[in-house]
Amino acid sequence: MTARDTRAEVGTGDVQDSGHGGPDDDYPPERLAAIGREDLDHLGARYDGVHVLHVDPPPAPGSPLEKRATRQVSMLFALAGLFAFLFVFVYVGSGWFLPDWRWEVGGDWWGLLFTPMLGISMGLSLLCVGAALVVYTKKLLPHETAMQEKHEGSNFERVTAAATLQKGWHNSGLGRRKLLLGSVGFMGGGLGLMLLAPLGGLIKNPNAGNPLGTTSWGEGVRLLREDGTPVRPGDQEPGSLATVFPAVPGGNRESDAATMLIRLRPAQVQSATARAGQEDFGYGDYVAYSKICTHAGCPVSLYEQETSRILCPCHQSQFDVTQGAKPVFGPATRALPQLPITVDEEGFFVARSDYIEAVGPTYWNRERI
Amino acid sequence: MATATAPGAPRTALGKAAVELDERLIVAGPLRRTLHKVFPDHWSFLLGEIALYSFVVLLLTGTYLTFFFQGSMTEVVYEGSYAPLRGVEMSVAYASTLDLSFDVRGGLVVRQIHHWSALLFVAAIVVHLMRIFFTGAFRRPRETNWLIGIALLVLALVEGFAGYSMPDDLLSGTGLRIASAIMLAIPVVGTWVHFAVFGGDYVGELIVGRLYIAHVLLIPAIMLGLIALHLLILVKQKHTQFPGAGRTEHNVVGVRMFPTFAVKSTGLFFVVFAVCAALGGAVQINPVWLWGPYDPAKVSAASQPDWYIMFLDGSTRLFPAWDINLPGDYTIPALFWPTLVLPGIIFTLMALYPVLERVLTGDTASHHLLQRPRDVPVRTSLGAMSIAFYVVLLLSGANDVIAEKFDISLNAMTWAGRLGLILLPAAAYVLTYRVCLGLQKHDREVLEHGIETGVIRRLPNGEFIEVHQPLGPVDAHGHGQLAYGGAPVPKRMNQVGGARRAIRGFFTPIEEPIRVELEQREESRGLATAEEGGRELTSAGRPTEGGRPSEGGRPSEGGRPSEGGRPQEPRD
Amino acid sequence: MSTTNQQSDAPHPGTAGAAPRRSRWGRRPADGTPAAAARARLRSRRRRRLGNVAGLLAGLILTGALYSALAPAHAADSSADADTESAVEAGEELYTRSCITCHGENLEGVNNRGPSLIGVGEAAVYFQVHTGRMPLVRQEADAPDKPVVFSDEEIDQLGAYIQANGGGPTLPSGDLRDGDLAEGGELFRLNCASCHNFVGQGGALSSGKAAPSLEASNDLEIYTAMLSGPENMPVFGDNQITPEEKRAIINYVQTIKGAGDPGGAGIGRLGPAPEGLVIWVVGVAATLFGVYWIGTKA
Repeated sequence: MTARDTRAEVGTGDVQDSGHGGPDDDYPPERLAAIGREDLDHLGARYDGVHVLHVDPPPAPGSPLEKRATRQVSMLFALAGLFAFLFVFVYVGSGWFLPDWRWEVGGDWWGLLFTPMLGISMGLSLLCVGAALVVYTKKLLPHETAMQEKHEGSNFERVTAAATLQKGWHNSGLGRRKLLLGSVGFMGGGLGLMLLAPLGGLIKNPNAGNPLGTTSWGEGVRLLREDGTPVRPGDQEPGSLATVFPAVPGGNRESDAATMLIRLRPAQVQSATARAGQEDFGYGDYVAYSKICTHAGCPVSLYEQETSRILCPCHQSQFDVTQGAKPVFGPATRALPQLPITVDEEGFFVARSDYIEAVGPTYWNRERI
Repeated sequence: MATATAPGAPRTALGKAAVELDERLIVAGPLRRTLHKVFPDHWSFLLGEIALYSFVVLLLTGTYLTFFFQGSMTEVVYEGSYAPLRGVEMSVAYASTLDLSFDVRGGLVVRQIHHWSALLFVAAIVVHLMRIFFTGAFRRPRETNWLIGIALLVLALVEGFAGYSMPDDLLSGTGLRIASAIMLAIPVVGTWVHFAVFGGDYVGELIVGRLYIAHVLLIPAIMLGLIALHLLILVKQKHTQFPGAGRTEHNVVGVRMFPTFAVKSTGLFFVVFAVCAALGGAVQINPVWLWGPYDPAKVSAASQPDWYIMFLDGSTRLFPAWDINLPGDYTIPALFWPTLVLPGIIFTLMALYPVLERVLTGDTASHHLLQRPRDVPVRTSLGAMSIAFYVVLLLSGANDVIAEKFDISLNAMTWAGRLGLILLPAAAYVLTYRVCLGLQKHDREVLEHGIETGVIRRLPNGEFIEVHQPLGPVDAHGHGQLAYGGAPVPKRMNQVGGARRAIRGFFTPIEEPIRVELEQREESRGLATAEEGGRELTSAGRPTEGGRPSEGGRPSEGGRPSEGGRPQEPRD
Repeated sequence: MSTTNQQSDAPHPGTAGAAPRRSRWGRRPADGTPAAAARARLRSRRRRRLGNVAGLLAGLILTGALYSALAPAHAADSSADADTESAVEAGEELYTRSCITCHGENLEGVNNRGPSLIGVGEAAVYFQVHTGRMPLVRQEADAPDKPVVFSDEEIDQLGAYIQANGGGPTLPSGDLRDGDLAEGGELFRLNCASCHNFVGQGGALSSGKAAPSLEASNDLEIYTAMLSGPENMPVFGDNQITPEEKRAIINYVQTIKGAGDPGGAGIGRLGPAPEGLVIWVVGVAATLFGVYWIGTKA
């Protein structure tokens, strides 16, 4: 308060002192000019609630300790510069006066070392800068111990701020003018919804056309290998697995159509039991199961032909192909769906229908579609 | 005008310019206050800065990467310089990642720096969080900042996962497939959520583009805002500090921002950047060209997420096959529990921990002095328990790699993880609790009986005793009367100046031992005249009568405890 | 994953080199029926195979002509037969000494000890013996690779004996890396990577079994492994993965193994697990050390 009053008295001739009040009153320019730099620093600090308690002076100017520290810091900065220039040298020079930087399989050693050289020279350069700065503070700057006061919140400020807020609310009359309040609330709700509504463009109906429950497999759809060749029963040896896709456009890139075509060994055929109602889904010693894990959708295909297990590499669910690909270990809960297969008149494998259940991970209404 | 003749007016060009600037912006006051902010002088307060500076490195390198990366799933045929993939069909995202690695000069090193600093960023957050937790820095009034910190951690995980998934390689695509399955696993709305995020059935053509914009704009913007808020609140509330002589609930003792702290902190930025850059050059990370382009029918053994998501992969591997079938043929998939419910519980408990502790202990006071973990054995043990739980999950996330490398059965690893998840946290709790009590007891014992000097004396009756150095005045029975003040208790003689003070120097000594000896003798001569106050520890850790928390009056504040204290004649 | 990319969807008459490896059969609108595209693809494969066969024949004829011109004509036939016969005899002796206990007198196998060797062929013999898996030391989940017991010559003799008495897949000849690199990569990722990892580092299987690392495997071992499906590995017969495709896979595996790591130390090329280890053991440790150094007063 007093500061402002005083300033008013002093008038406009003295505006040079910035109008912060308080201290400018206590310390007119003449008085400040008489104070030394060190004391000014501490004076300012006191205004910020900081007390410098103790200062360990840096090594005396010209002392051997100082000279050595200065040398060290300078050396580190110089090294930093050196490594930085090394980086630039390698970066710019490669392919100009140095060997080409481009790495190719079976290429020369420079291409193999280009990235490491860049990274390591950059790392060393930056490390030297960091070390120089730290050594600088440790060896060449005074070590001071300062103490800053913490202040609790002020009751005065709380009360006055609250009063202003309350006054504003009171003057607005919203407490009394119910109609206004209601309409503002209505407007707020509407506006909020309006701004959120365009996000509705993200929403798609997952049940339209049942994309989750169906795949491209269907009656008469051939089983093709990834390169597009159809499969004959004679193509695979007993104890083998091939990944096959439906013969439809883009079939080999579909996320849920990949199927494992497995030819069982004679011993497996003897012990094999299919799931109830799916006894005729195989063809001879061939069975076809979905490759998409029923747990989290990874392609299961770590087929152990001796133990008849299929392992999923993501979460280690294990399925037994001789028991209808039933899960025998790990987090998966459902058997891999089996694709009913047969052979068409040209002797190639075809599906007899789509999978009779949804393939892939379980979801809320999976059993219903 | 008065300006020209004003006493003390700057005469140099720089000074005049500064005055001109301040006349327009009036920044001198705020600037001075900023320069004077006091930072506690302890290394553990810099842990959060590692995270901050890794984030800066991420922004710098990430911006560079956006010049080359294209977040599109359009299929192209690769014709770049990496021969083993030439002619293979792949998405533009993957192809541009390859180009960025092999056909952009220096692109690979920047990409690798970016990935390493991402791993470091999350690791630094975790370390910072552990420091905050174990020292009780989250207590009132800092609950808000704790909440912001947890939010930042969660966002960092999401951000990291988005970045990991963007190149559309076979490894990250497998991760995305699992993310898709997790969305589907949400009860009731799962399929709707999935169709909204992916724009249809898996995999669609949109997800990489959506992840890209989330990774480079949406999430970083939120994170930047939260980081700014985190720091603003920190400045507003001021730092906590460890207890010690001269340190109270009403002050912060340390160094001022300018120049010492600013220079040190800048130094730390360069060190963090250096570590990321050196790793980015020396150690290959995520070589996507070896993984190949994503294809839903392909997979590799040992497919894992980056380490910070690995705990969720671990929980998924360990969780038993428990689908819940509800009437009406509805199902809650087993996947739902370990991937959504578990992290939900973990992060909710973390976020609520300050409130829970406040309610359970009834301690509603504001705290600015930190606690030593041993003094709060329950919290410390809970922390150790959580870490044990987390580490079991983390290791289980890599259990196939461990099984393969150490020739252990994979099934045995799964069962070890399942049992370990239940047994190890309990063991960690009990063990940590015991250790805390033991450490507490030892502190009290030293305060009561003094430091073991190693000097054996024979009493006239023939009994041998070890001479103890009391830390303060003793009563008639020779027992110390100091109360424990929450600060480290000196336990070796040279921590109380029994030997000469330690020679300065972190890597090598930077002063002559003989000079220190002389200096010390001089000091001990002056000691006789100096007042005795100011060095005793009181229970509150406040300065005693003298009120002068002066030179070396702090027995220890982490760094070099041996500097503290003054020599004192041993008594038994 | 549908796309409208013209470049990849357009037919590639006469630009076979630029054609996508991973063909999108059926995606081509040309014939209307997807099977037609598949057949076209098959035709081109057959053409390629025919070409290869023709080349091989030409080479054989040339070699044969040279051989008959240079070698003493009268001894050629009978000495080759005699070689085979003596190899079979030597092989029988080796078999009786080292294998008969588990595989039986007539290669019929012994219950709970060893499987029948009828039909496994010399390919299986080569793989099992050359990787040191056979003779087995003890029965366990996996037959681990060990130092080789037999010399290359002895392995040939054993192979000849088994081949003569049991029949089965034979050893391939020619350049085993004579295949398309990128196609080999695609096939490797589809058929092999699930167990052997992206880069052939190997991986864990159920209950203590493991797919071995391909780090030390030579071309012929990889080839015979595919052909014979040792232990838990599925069999990849020649009608499923053609000899050319096998060679492409081998080319890919060996090329990747030999290619350096342009990004620095490879840390096992295992992805996130070793990377996580490195960030904690090196990255976090280094920055913590830095912080401790910066934070102490001295």
